[in-house]
Amino acid sequence: MIRFADVSIKLGDFSLKNVNLEIKEGEFFTILGPTGTGKTVILELIAGLYRPDAGKIFINGADAENIPPERRKIGFVYQDYALFPHLNVYKNIAFGPQLGKIPSPIIKERVKDLADMLGIAHLLERFPGTLSGGEQQRVSLARAFIMKPRILLLDEPFGALDPNTKRMLCRELKKMYLQYQCTVIHVTHDFSEAGMLADRIGIILEGRVRQVGGSREVFENPLDQKVASFLGAEPLKTVFAG
Amino acid sequence: MKKNWWQDKFNLFMVAVAFFTFLFMTAAVGTLMIKGLPQIGKALAAPEIQFAIRLSLYTSLISTAFCIVIAIPVAYVLARVDIPMKSLFNTLLDLPLALPPVVSGLCLLIIFGTTAFGAWLEGIGLPFVFTVKGIIMAQIFVNIPFMIRVMKSTILSVNPRLEFIARTLGCTPAQAFWKITLPLSKNGIIAGIVTTWARALGEFGAALMLAGATRFRTETLPISLFLNMSTGDLEGAMAAANLLIIISIISLYIFNKFGGDFIGGTRGV
Repeated sequence: MIRFADVSIKLGDFSLKNVNLEIKEGEFFTILGPTGTGKTVILELIAGLYRPDAGKIFINGADAENIPPERRKIGFVYQDYALFPHLNVYKNIAFGPQLGKIPSPIIKERVKDLADMLGIAHLLERFPGTLSGGEQQRVSLARAFIMKPRILLLDEPFGALDPNTKRMLCRELKKMYLQYQCTVIHVTHDFSEAGMLADRIGIILEGRVRQVGGSREVFENPLDQKVASFLGAEPLKTVFAG
Repeated sequence: MKKNWWQDKFNLFMVAVAFFTFLFMTAAVGTLMIKGLPQIGKALAAPEIQFAIRLSLYTSLISTAFCIVIAIPVAYVLARVDIPMKSLFNTLLDLPLALPPVVSGLCLLIIFGTTAFGAWLEGIGLPFVFTVKGIIMAQIFVNIPFMIRVMKSTILSVNPRLEFIARTLGCTPAQAFWKITLPLSKNGIIAGIVTTWARALGEFGAALMLAGATRFRTETLPISLFLNMSTGDLEGAMAAANLLIIISIISLYIFNKFGGDFIGGTRGV
């Protein structure tokens, strides 16, 4: 379980204020909000890129402040994929296990299994710069899943993809989430993506978490005017159509 | 790209200025090369030129190695670490770039020649005044800000998210630097090394002030050029100058190939 207790942080002109949030173990939690409201900062706080100015973050009951990113058992997938451009697809996926001194036949097998599952087995020798957006995002997911993360953080993972690729990847992600049984925290500003994937949704506006609830509950019963006007632009039937 | 630029008076004027600048530079360097190149064979046979080449190579290679080893961590701090008074730190590190080299040399002469620190260094076998070590020190002092600038721009051009992703995959900060940032800085490092080395080969003012100009002792190629001019040996001077020009052209080519855009602020210097 991940718990934010009154977490605040100021980064340049942007600030996240008194965030209180609980994410249950094994759930698919989506943070939904417009661009520039602090969604990515929440993920980066969980991952350990920043320390809160005030408040505490607990991961499975332990104060996260003393746990460096490399020991948090976290997978991170960015919208821009953040693949290592100097390594081919195989080496990108195998990067984590190779650090852990896992025997190379086992790494090879794990890379192959994941590559097969995500349909990128034919790309293993290619470099990231030669791949399409959808292919890069699959590699990025494989690189995160190969570490068998306890928590998977997805920062608008499908934001740069066309609608067909997005739908396909959403389905694959959900399948892998069920198979790997990790906690997923997914950030998006796309209502249909949230409706399609999330067990629960947190609405974040202007650096504050305004409402948390089941996905249907949030869309049907917005807590206040601000949440309603943010959600109001999207008819409910399209949100749950995916 | 502007086509048919000759039909516009403004563009015609700009192109004319560019053309005459190019013409002047090419003429100045070209004249020296045309007059000096035939003398190179003879000059290369002269023992003082051979000594100068050897000493130039020796000092420039050592100073370049020191510059890399020092510049990479300093550049990393400037690019990635949030330290107090960073901008002041940055400005002071750039200072030797703006100082006339003779002033840099005088600074070094004062610290190594007139202070207890200099005397202590001499006592432990590191004399810098009027020695070959002084040439190396002068080259490092003058060139290190340049190498730091190149490395800082290079590191800034590497997406910090890549280092962070490496951390989430199990890297310590040092491992993320060695496995991600440094390999992705390869072109900048090569460009920095080549240019720093070429600048070290041509370093004159600071080295003259700290190490002096003594034949067969502290005689690098630029010092040799200076000594030959002082004694009226124009042929020897032109030969040394031609060697420096050839090295400069080659290094400029390599620099442009690997990372010309790391200089001058185009990548956030």
